[in-house]
Amino acid sequence: MSVVVKTIARILVPVILVFGGYVILHGHLTPGGGFQGGAVAASAVALLLVAFGAPAVKRLKAPFSVLEDLGGIAFVVLAFLGLGFTFFANSLAGMGGLFGAPVPTGPNAGILNSGGTVPLMNWAVGFKVLGGLGAVMVLFGLFGGDDDR
Amino acid sequence: MTLLAVLQVVILILIVAGSVLAVWLKDLLASVIALGASSLLLALQFYLLQAPDVAIAEAGVGAALTTAIFVLAIRKTQRKEEE
Amino acid sequence: MRRWGVVVTFLIVAGCLLLGAARMRPFGAPRYDLMDRYFNAFSQREAATNNVVTAIVFDYRGYDTLGEATVLFTAVIGVALVLRRLTR
Repeated sequence: MSVVVKTIARILVPVILVFGGYVILHGHLTPGGGFQGGAVAASAVALLLVAFGAPAVKRLKAPFSVLEDLGGIAFVVLAFLGLGFTFFANSLAGMGGLFGAPVPTGPNAGILNSGGTVPLMNWAVGFKVLGGLGAVMVLFGLFGGDDDR
Repeated sequence: MTLLAVLQVVILILIVAGSVLAVWLKDLLASVIALGASSLLLALQFYLLQAPDVAIAEAGVGAALTTAIFVLAIRKTQRKEEE
Repeated sequence: MRRWGVVVTFLIVAGCLLLGAARMRPFGAPRYDLMDRYFNAFSQREAATNNVVTAIVFDYRGYDTLGEATVLFTAVIGVALVLRRLTR
């Protein structure tokens, strides 16, 4: 691609990654969540791939695959945490400690340290979606060799 | 009819126009751009219908990832559609 | 002949969609809203989450999210299986 696209991509990629991380981190307070944040972060990978070609992202293929597997495993393990009650029960909500602050009922500004297993599942699914969509796009980019036009 | 309803009708008409343009154009890169614009307008419509979660997902997947994958596919193959 | 088939198909599909849209309920007033009111009242107490959509996706309907994750995993495996031999 041309130098304009490369320069804009160099500026925009960190911004998109930070916004994806924000959407995942505040998934239990504001609109968004794991899938949406992972898709936004994966669009940064798409921008890198379109702007710089496949060789620039070739070494990201194995980390993305590992990230996808780890996200899926973490999601299922967090689901098993609630097995004393039921599968997928929110066993950390309101218990104190990590993400355990109680939430007042009704409209409030939101407490970041709340939600129990929901924010952790947000991170797991976010990394899973980022890894999955990123691996798919890197594989598509590497398909049939690289002919950068 | 309130202003919001007029805006929603205009956005829906633009979505249909973008989709028709995506089918009608022979230059596949322009067709993909029309499809991405239509998808982004669909995300705006979701936001106006008070579904911001779906709007973020649609903007991320429909407008960004699909367009990028189509652009990659066009780069690997050919740009003009054959008759 | 083929053109008439296209026109008839378009008219039938558009008619069905318009028929469905004519009988649509007004916006924000569904016919059954018992679960809506339950989620709005209890999601902050039970899941400690301000965003009700995330509470439903990851807590109340966690099985659906597990299925969605499985679908994504299967799609990635399929793409990797098809394209692995062909990439260099």
